[in-house]
Amino acid sequence: MADVAATEVVPAGPATAALAFLTEMSPDLRGAAILDPAGVVLAASGEPDRWREDAAALLAAADQAGEERVEQVHIATEQGEVFALRHEGLVALAVTERFALASLMLFDMRSVLRDLASTRRRDESVQMGDEIDPSTPGGGG
Amino acid sequence: MPPKPHRVLLDRVSGYADEAAAFVRRRRISRRPFARLYYREGRSSDHAGDSVAGAELFVAAGRLIEVAGKRPKA
Repeated sequence: MADVAATEVVPAGPATAALAFLTEMSPDLRGAAILDPAGVVLAASGEPDRWREDAAALLAAADQAGEERVEQVHIATEQGEVFALRHEGLVALAVTERFALASLMLFDMRSVLRDLASTRRRDESVQMGDEIDPSTPGGGG
Repeated sequence: MPPKPHRVLLDRVSGYADEAAAFVRRRRISRRPFARLYYREGRSSDHAGDSVAGAELFVAAGRLIEVAGKRPKA
């Protein structure tokens, strides 16, 4: 069952594509998820509800560990490694095999989140443009 | 009689490979679990597993590892 869960991806548009890209780029990756600023799972390998709950628990524990909001988390255990990264409100989480190259993993996660954030900004600006009636003077730009 | 040049080169390359393999082996054996947090200004902090914050982080990480499951066989 775990193998099936690790390959299943919840559909959510650009986030799904970003997750697929991350999976392809990182051979050590076991599973990953991308969350929006509200903590909603945009894409995940496996069960999105569990990713949401456990991601929230990890980020809450990480934020409480220090006096400020954490930007990156890297936890290495005997069972595997966990990475979390915040960028422009989005959160990427990844679970890898032991001894995965942390710098490469975080670089890939940051790159994926950066692209996703710019896509979301572009989509939002297009939606705002659609809301303006082009028939009104100055409305079409 | 001096060794042939290609022998010298091969010995040197295999020497480096042995060094690298030994380094990786030592790293695998000696590396302990850790929880490391990074902040905006480049500051980072380590949390030991026996501290309160560290224990919470390891528990949360363990849950995520469970959710992710095993890596699919290629």
